[in-house]
Amino acid sequence: MTTATAGLTSTTTSGVGGGKLCSHKRIANDFATLNTSVSSSNGFNCWNAATNHPRRRLVFAKASSSSPPPPPEKKQDQSDNDDVIDDDQKPSSVSVMKRLVDANPVGLGRRSRQIFDEAWRKFSELGQISRTTRTNDESSLLIQEGGPMCEFATPGAQNTTVLVVGATSRVGRIVVRKLMLRGYSVKALVRNADQEVVDMLPTSVKIVIGDVGDPATLRVAVEGCSKIIYCATARSSITVDLNRVDYQGVYNLSKAFQDYNNQLAQLRAGKSSKSKLLLAKFKSADSLKGWEVRKGTYFQDEVAAKYDGGMDAKFEFSESGDAVFSGYVFTRGGYVELSTKLSLPLGSTLDRYEGLIISIGGNGRSYVVILESGPSADTSQSNLYFARISTKVGFCRVRVPFSSFRPVNPADPPLDPFLVHTFTIRFEPRRQRPSEAAVGGSQDLRSFQMILEYIKALPTGQETDFILVSCTGSGVEVSRRESVLRAKKAGEDSLRRSGLGYTIIRPGPLMEEPGGQRALIFDQGNRISQGISCADVADICVKALHDSTARNKSFDVCYEYVAEPGKELYELVAHLPDKANNYLTPALSALEKNT
Amino acid sequence: MASTTLHSRLSHTQSPAITRTSSSLRQITGNSLTWSRAFAPDRLLSAVSHSSLRGVKGSVKPLITCAAGTEPVAAANLAPGTPVRPTSIMVIGGTGTLGRQVVRRALDEGYDVRCLVRPRPAPADFLRDWGATVVNGDLTKPETIPATLVGVHTIIDCATGRPEEPIKTVDWEGKVALIQCAKAMGIQKYVFFSIHNCDKHPEVPLMEIKYCTEKFLQESGINHVVIRLCGFMQGLIGQYAVPILEEKSVWGTDAPTRIAYMDTQDIARLTFIAIRSEKVNGKLLTFAGPRAWTTQEVITLCERLAGQDANVTTVPVSVLKFTRQLTRCFEWTNDVADRLAFSEILTSDTVFSVPMNETYQLLGVDQKDIITLEKYLQDYFTNILKKLKDLKAQSKQSDFYI
Repeated sequence: MTTATAGLTSTTTSGVGGGKLCSHKRIANDFATLNTSVSSSNGFNCWNAATNHPRRRLVFAKASSSSPPPPPEKKQDQSDNDDVIDDDQKPSSVSVMKRLVDANPVGLGRRSRQIFDEAWRKFSELGQISRTTRTNDESSLLIQEGGPMCEFATPGAQNTTVLVVGATSRVGRIVVRKLMLRGYSVKALVRNADQEVVDMLPTSVKIVIGDVGDPATLRVAVEGCSKIIYCATARSSITVDLNRVDYQGVYNLSKAFQDYNNQLAQLRAGKSSKSKLLLAKFKSADSLKGWEVRKGTYFQDEVAAKYDGGMDAKFEFSESGDAVFSGYVFTRGGYVELSTKLSLPLGSTLDRYEGLIISIGGNGRSYVVILESGPSADTSQSNLYFARISTKVGFCRVRVPFSSFRPVNPADPPLDPFLVHTFTIRFEPRRQRPSEAAVGGSQDLRSFQMILEYIKALPTGQETDFILVSCTGSGVEVSRRESVLRAKKAGEDSLRRSGLGYTIIRPGPLMEEPGGQRALIFDQGNRISQGISCADVADICVKALHDSTARNKSFDVCYEYVAEPGKELYELVAHLPDKANNYLTPALSALEKNT
Repeated sequence: MASTTLHSRLSHTQSPAITRTSSSLRQITGNSLTWSRAFAPDRLLSAVSHSSLRGVKGSVKPLITCAAGTEPVAAANLAPGTPVRPTSIMVIGGTGTLGRQVVRRALDEGYDVRCLVRPRPAPADFLRDWGATVVNGDLTKPETIPATLVGVHTIIDCATGRPEEPIKTVDWEGKVALIQCAKAMGIQKYVFFSIHNCDKHPEVPLMEIKYCTEKFLQESGINHVVIRLCGFMQGLIGQYAVPILEEKSVWGTDAPTRIAYMDTQDIARLTFIAIRSEKVNGKLLTFAGPRAWTTQEVITLCERLAGQDANVTTVPVSVLKFTRQLTRCFEWTNDVADRLAFSEILTSDTVFSVPMNETYQLLGVDQKDIITLEKYLQDYFTNILKKLKDLKAQSKQSDFYI
């Protein structure tokens, strides 16, 4: 469309003086192109002029009806032509000038040839059915390649840079192509950029050399990126390899990406909207201030309480530098809890966050996290919300999304994080399960010990930041499956805790087939049994980039299959892909978040 | 031997005969059939063996290098080596209007795409940018073909000669070489794009050649799909939409011919459904748009959508025909005559359209997913007018600073 715009703008802007200037320019142009026009006039053109009477007649007839002359063929001549149109509307002084120029025999000849060529081109086009014209290639390019008319055009693709890790893998290769087709800027992280790798990737992909096991190289890789798609996988099932790529790799990369976000935010003199908010960190005795230990019981039954052994709990800073909350509850229906009023940093409110992350160590009990919300001035109006968390023996980080909190009183509205003012963690002996690492039967489920490290709030957002292609393990050999899955699981967990918006895709066994052929099943809970083509996985990755329903979801995906009797749990939500098909949104909105 | 005779027959028809009747061209069709019978089926079927290849070598001069190049590959084909992945495809003519959409669709569906392009100073960078592998080769030079076909499962042939070059070299000689090469190398599927009604208009050289190629492909015994097309919507943009926007004259004929234009993106999509479907193997499909349009109707539609009147120059079909007759009188204007050949069709009330219901059913496509011309042009004008407006606003601002 460049030609059209050139024409339009020059008509609107060139004034009287402009016209004069242009005429001069045209003379120069005429002489400059004289050589080329002479040399390019071949037998074909001479013949045109000599033999073809009907065509000539047509041109002249057209000129006499005083319509603007047909456009010349070459693009650089466009301006000339516009000048002619302009000149027709100019005052007489300019038109005298124009006539003088026209009198130049070389210019005259050249222009008449151009007009003739154009007329001939149009004429001969009429005799064809579906040949597209080469001269308009530029305009059609503009429309077709990534323009709004193109079926692949994605809004927001232009200013999104995606880092693809594992760009030469089976899925990654297709992901890169799909992103390029949609107009994204793509960076590819490769281990070494030898010719084979470079040939495999599209030319305008920016290649970054690095290794997910090496945090230093990742800092360079994430620069300028707004999304990450991770489709790398370990090449062997050696534990070291698995650990390095599937777990440490994800951890390093999410960390590097967070660091980069924070760095950007500091430049803007603010906090990154993707960084976590520290609510409490227990690293000194002072940090225990404000925390209060309480005891209570669910039953107000005095008689029963008499026979109970009572309960006790304390929260103290140990010599080894840990904040330990420990105690026992022998009373039936009793509980102990640790509570504090949240003091948020100035200017931040919890509604910009979507969950809590608690770093906790201990002997593997489960706890109840209770949030109290309501106007902070009047605590009597507060509503209570609870969520049950289970911990492992040793240290672990537990992610508790706000959406998993249920009101204690079912009539209360759902939790509004904005109004939360008190945080409580409660231990109760009910519903405790013996932990796996129990030695003999010696553990008493009524006693507990936990070490708190920190409590942070996880930021919220619209879109996913990090897409991880994991696996369901169904295609892996049985002997290796456990170790592979363990590494993948660890990687997934580290991503969930990073605070980035995540999408974890666990495809069935990958097949090298074209995508879009068969219906897909999206499921959660390791039930799928079929494989899936690499192209479909890549398609899901690309679609998930801008899909708000994909944020913070993990799901399994595979080809459609007929479920075993009694297990028919899926419903058909989306059909075969068509032009503007977005099957992902309906499919994913049925799935649970934060799993 | 036979193929060379056909070549010479074809060139005969292009030689300066003063009057060429359609019957002489019909003769070619007959010839090509006998030629195929004589040469193609049995020889090509046993093309894996060396002796028969040598036979091919001996009989077809221009193909010597081609056949020689295929020998080791054909031998390797017999051995239970690494199977060619079905996702590996080769697109011929990937830079063209249809070809680029095919390449794009293929890449998006997860195929590994290789494109055969002619070596040229400005390489087709956009293909490489999308992730396709570009290999240099030229259909008019058969010796460049075999090396490019190694490891290819399916060939999609969307190539046709450029308007300025003689039709015969690419569309006939090149295609014959390609098909023979594909056969010898054990390419598993060959998709060929032809023109609708090409069997009914032997007087048009391009259509005649396409028809002969269809026949040749059938006789070759390769697993193939032939897809006949009517017209591309993309072509209308340059022909009508842009001139109307630029307030330049639009040339049209008064011909009553109707063409069912189709979006090349839709064609590409349906093509890949067809490629994957086993039911379609060896079939002839025709893709047509939802409605057939005359030139006048298209211009009227463009005028309405652009909101401005077109400056239409109507050329009577008789003038076109006369010009064609005139240009055929001289040898050096024969290419021109070929280009004007479609005027022969324009005089008839031919409708370039077919009912698509059966095809939709065969491919399992919903009719409402196929874009109509109204919708296509409307999208185009909405977008382009918006863009023009933006650019205008921008240029005004920049002028302010000058």
